[in-house]
Amino acid sequence: MKLNRIGYPYFIWLGIFILIPLLLVMYFAFTTGDSQNLSTFTFSMENFEKFMSPIYMGVLYRSVKLAFVSTLICLVLGYPIALIISKEKPKVRNIMVLMFVIPMWMNFLLRTYAWLTLLGKNGILSRVLSFIGFEGISLLYNDTAVLLGMVYNFLPFMVLPIFSVLTKMDNDLVEAAEDLGANKAEVFWKVIFPLSLPGVITGITMVFIPAVSTFVISGLLGGNKSTLIGNLIEQQFRYTGDWHFGSTMSIILMVFILAAMALTSKFDKEKEGGGGGLW
Amino acid sequence: MTKTHAIDLVQIYKQFGDTPVLEDINLYIRQNEFLTLLGPSGCGKTTTLRIIGGFETPTNGRVMFDGEDITEIPPFKRQINTVFQKYALFPHLNVFDNIAFGLKIKKMSKEDIREKVAEMLKLVNLEGFEDRDIESLSGGQQQRIAIARALVNEPKVLLLDEPLGALDLKLRKEMQLELKRIQKRVGITFVYVTHDQEEALTMSDTIVVMDKGRIQQIGTPMDIYNEPVNRFVAKFIGESNIIDGMMNEDFKVTFSNRTFQCVDKGFGMDQPVDVVIRPEDLQIVSYENGFISGEVQNVIFKGVHYEMEIRSEDYTWTVHSTIMKNVGEKVGMIIVPDNIHIMRKGEADEA
Repeated sequence: MKLNRIGYPYFIWLGIFILIPLLLVMYFAFTTGDSQNLSTFTFSMENFEKFMSPIYMGVLYRSVKLAFVSTLICLVLGYPIALIISKEKPKVRNIMVLMFVIPMWMNFLLRTYAWLTLLGKNGILSRVLSFIGFEGISLLYNDTAVLLGMVYNFLPFMVLPIFSVLTKMDNDLVEAAEDLGANKAEVFWKVIFPLSLPGVITGITMVFIPAVSTFVISGLLGGNKSTLIGNLIEQQFRYTGDWHFGSTMSIILMVFILAAMALTSKFDKEKEGGGGGLW
Repeated sequence: MTKTHAIDLVQIYKQFGDTPVLEDINLYIRQNEFLTLLGPSGCGKTTTLRIIGGFETPTNGRVMFDGEDITEIPPFKRQINTVFQKYALFPHLNVFDNIAFGLKIKKMSKEDIREKVAEMLKLVNLEGFEDRDIESLSGGQQQRIAIARALVNEPKVLLLDEPLGALDLKLRKEMQLELKRIQKRVGITFVYVTHDQEEALTMSDTIVVMDKGRIQQIGTPMDIYNEPVNRFVAKFIGESNIIDGMMNEDFKVTFSNRTFQCVDKGFGMDQPVDVVIRPEDLQIVSYENGFISGEVQNVIFKGVHYEMEIRSEDYTWTVHSTIMKNVGEKVGMIIVPDNIHIMRKGEADEA
């Protein structure tokens, strides 16, 4: 590979902030010892063995499941929205996209805190529910609340890449399919959807990765009942101080994400160089 | 609306917002003819084609197909197929699946599809291309696939929207003949849109010249070329010298300060007219022997002939001749009566 000179600053950045930390995480993952004292480090698979226990595996399973479900909800909600926006005239389209993007200008934490008050015991939603007769339903601190937070926060990341692919799609292709006898549903499933797959895959990637590794959303909306792998990793680094085990879990999570992405991109393998995908 | 008409357009009007695009389009298209809608960009030819295909609905008027009103029928229910300007081949499907697209929707059996696709590929001279990727094909090959994809559905009418526009000159000429051959083979109606007058003259049985949303003239290529009805058609179809003249009486016209014999009549006495003379109909003779005389202003070598600008007293004539004259040379020109064409000064003349 021939490196272009204008790429050098990025490669330096890549080395210092991505490559070296990654190697460090790997190093920590396969060693044990006092996290603060390098001389105590010894090679060990102990952390991996520790992770194999049902408790940790259960957390990993729940994390992947929640991330998967939230990605699916984002796709089911986001695709039709992206399709509708892409069919609007450019003026209306820009306004609609702006409406999607504006909430993202607000701080992520703030938005999640907002849900805390909406769903909380004295929040608007609880009051509405108790008003129509559902007393004392706890909306907060469960998986549903976490799911809601994920979908709310990550939906734009699903809509935007799909929207972008759909607007770039040549309308002639849709007309050609109609011309060849396809009705609206056939046009969608045989032409529009397959051609939008690169956007779908980017969207899935951009929702699944933050969803599977989040600890803020689950921490705030899930309470201690809904601990996810992200929360476990955070605990190791911030409270327990076991950087080795934290690193091990990070590596395991990374492997899962890589596997999930490889699986997803397989659906799009046939078309090489199809822009829009991350892979 | 007899049985010999494949398509009838009846008083079609079309507006986009407040802008009229088509005004009072009346046209019948015969079964099995090659009809070309010809005009400059923005003349409404593509809109007319899209109305026939069902992609646009006319603001007013009716579209008849085999004598039946199809104005409100969506494209996927019409027995009409289209070859799009940029081919619009499906990039996610290979050649076979592109051509088979329409047949699969009709739920035709696998063997029949395979057979028909092979047959079509043979028709467009691309046998054995079934498994190729669309992106691996050249422009000309993509063009052929687009034609095959449309024709495999056995439409009664094939619409072609400037299908050769993206090809280079040599390939375009080949494809013109090829299209004509295919049309004769399959024996269906072709409606062809182009802005290229030469293309229209080469391929068409009937040419419809359009400008500013209106039909200017309908006729055979020879009619259109030899008997343009107005200044626009005369200028658009080939090069023309158009000069103000006066029709003195039947068979007598005055222009360039001289009275000529001509073959036109029925204009009345002393009527101002437009006189059209094609550049190739002016013959260069010696200065003394010419009906019109002038000085050569400019000479361009065009391959087959020289294109010269010859300045006479009141007009600069464009002349095509195989005889080269030098710039500054004084020459004479003669015209035979048959080649003097007279047009009424009309409302569409401002073009």
